Amino acid sequence: MWQQVELALRQSAQQVLVKLARFLPGLVALLLAVIILTAIGAGLAALLRRSLTAAKFDERLARSASTTISDWSPAHSPTALIARFAFWACTLIGCFIGISAFDAAYPGDSQISIFVFPYLTHAVGAVLLLIAGTLIARFLERSVLIGAVNAKLQYARFLSLGIKWLVLVLTAAMVLDHLQIGGGVVELAFGILFGGIVLTLALAVGLGSRDIVSRSLERSADLHTGLDPIPTATEYKAPTAAENLRHF
Amino acid sequence: MASTQTNTDLSAAVAPAAGSVLISLTPLAQDAFDTTLANLALAFPGENVLVATPDLAPQLSAGGPLRLLPYTPTVISSSPWILTAADYLNTFKLAQENHASSCILLGAESQSLHPEAIRNLARGASSTDLTVARYELGPREGLVNSAILYPVTRALFAARPRYPLAIDLGLSLRMAERLAMTAQRYTASGQTDSFIWPVAEAATANYTMTEVEIGTRTLPQPAAADLNALLSQITGSLFADVDAKANFWQRARVSQSTPPLITLSSPAEAPPDIASMLDSFRLAYTNLQAIWSLVLPPNSLLGLKKLAITQPENFRMPDNLWARIVYDFLLAYRLRTINRGHLLGALTPLYLAWVASHLNLVSSGMAPEKHIQDLAAAFEADKPYLVSRWRWPDRFNP
Repeated sequence: MWQQVELALRQSAQQVLVKLARFLPGLVALLLAVIILTAIGAGLAALLRRSLTAAKFDERLARSASTTISDWSPAHSPTALIARFAFWACTLIGCFIGISAFDAAYPGDSQISIFVFPYLTHAVGAVLLLIAGTLIARFLERSVLIGAVNAKLQYARFLSLGIKWLVLVLTAAMVLDHLQIGGGVVELAFGILFGGIVLTLALAVGLGSRDIVSRSLERSADLHTGLDPIPTATEYKAPTAAENLRHF
Repeated sequence: MASTQTNTDLSAAVAPAAGSVLISLTPLAQDAFDTTLANLALAFPGENVLVATPDLAPQLSAGGPLRLLPYTPTVISSSPWILTAADYLNTFKLAQENHASSCILLGAESQSLHPEAIRNLARGASSTDLTVARYELGPREGLVNSAILYPVTRALFAARPRYPLAIDLGLSLRMAERLAMTAQRYTASGQTDSFIWPVAEAATANYTMTEVEIGTRTLPQPAAADLNALLSQITGSLFADVDAKANFWQRARVSQSTPPLITLSSPAEAPPDIASMLDSFRLAYTNLQAIWSLVLPPNSLLGLKKLAITQPENFRMPDNLWARIVYDFLLAYRLRTINRGHLLGALTPLYLAWVASHLNLVSSGMAPEKHIQDLAAAFEADKPYLVSRWRWPDRFNP
């Protein structure tokens, strides 16, 4: 019996070692492809950064009518954004080449890349969605916050947080859907969360603006009944010295 | 007045005399146009003057001193209250075509200008490259200019003109050419309404400049009353210009010329109502701290915290705090610390706090012009901070 156990162990160890020996070249090829392409990407990014800086790309872009790239690169210049994009594109290409090399080097019966490639593509798409969603959420949050504060809305913070979470929830649902995780549960949860946030925002804005709405309703009712209309919010205030300010 | 190109109709004009002054007008109503022409005739008796106008001009008698140059603007400016890139370009083209020796640009509502003021502008334009109008405004007028435009221009470009964005200017031909070249960069990309900063251009080119008293004048106001959008537009343009001329102003020294005479204005007719401005500032302090903390150092945030709990009657923003705030926003604009639209939007409540503080000071008896000059001096004193952080933005900053 012990001889059979020993034989089974020896055979399994041998099989594992043989598989590992066949597996290692493919792994090394994958790592090499990723490292080389990453190095090329870093070099390309440095070259782009230097040449665009020498060509004063940022200044030219800032002077031109289109500032879209600047808007979406809040912490860095458009030059840095382009250089970073080139770097990550090279790294991504390295991953694809590496997986392909791994698949070619791996002599196993199963074609790994047939399964890995589509999922990797989905994963990359999901990561891009996540990054874009997070950027848009932050951009909209700040836009709404600053706009609402300058419009003197007391619930500015609440409004901006609501917008931010609306976009984040939408992004999370899209990412999970893209990765084909969760199925119907994600859709249901997304519907509940999204609807909940919209309802909360609607209630908050409605309750915050109820004075304005009630004045507006009273005014229209008075107009229908022929009575003197109640003055609007602006008409309630007597003109003050602050209104005589000329900023320009 | 604003157009990208001019279709000059010289058929109606008498052949101009070379070396004469060209006066460029904005579109005016018929009454205003007649008044302006009458004032110009009074300002230049017996002199040959070319008057460029985008309006349909009447035929003038051949013996009169005024020669009209009507032209057709192809694009109407959406900012007629200020001189834009298209205005400078049109003026230079007309001056070049008619061999004028100097130009005078008169902004909207030019019918309210006194003939003596126009003559002073022309006199300045004949001897210096840039002649800038100096207006007599009340303590509640031209506040953006007093708070940001004048102090920043004076501190960085060592230039004394009180109104860097004046709408009445006298230009030598080479100054007009330089401004037109700058303007062409904008008009070529379709930005005909971009602002040009003549004082900064003259300082950078080391051209001579002077300032002439215009007295009272009806200053046109922007059609849109949205302070946030207008403030963002003007400060954004100023910050971009400062960014583009960084090589110059980092070397420029503080102006040593005599400060302009401080005129004591009459006390305000009614105490200012600063409550709404303070409400805006306090609301912003509650909500925008996260954004301000990305731009402002802890010391400035502490100063704002103290201001937020100050009673309205004692509300005073120190001049050095405001100077530091403007400089930090300028740095953040350059470094793109946050989106530029957000950055300029976050400046509005701070500007309103400065306005409230200024009005409080004025109502307490301080001459408004003295406060503005003190503020400009604070900007000059703090310039080394801006230069240092411009060069080494990552250095520790308490």
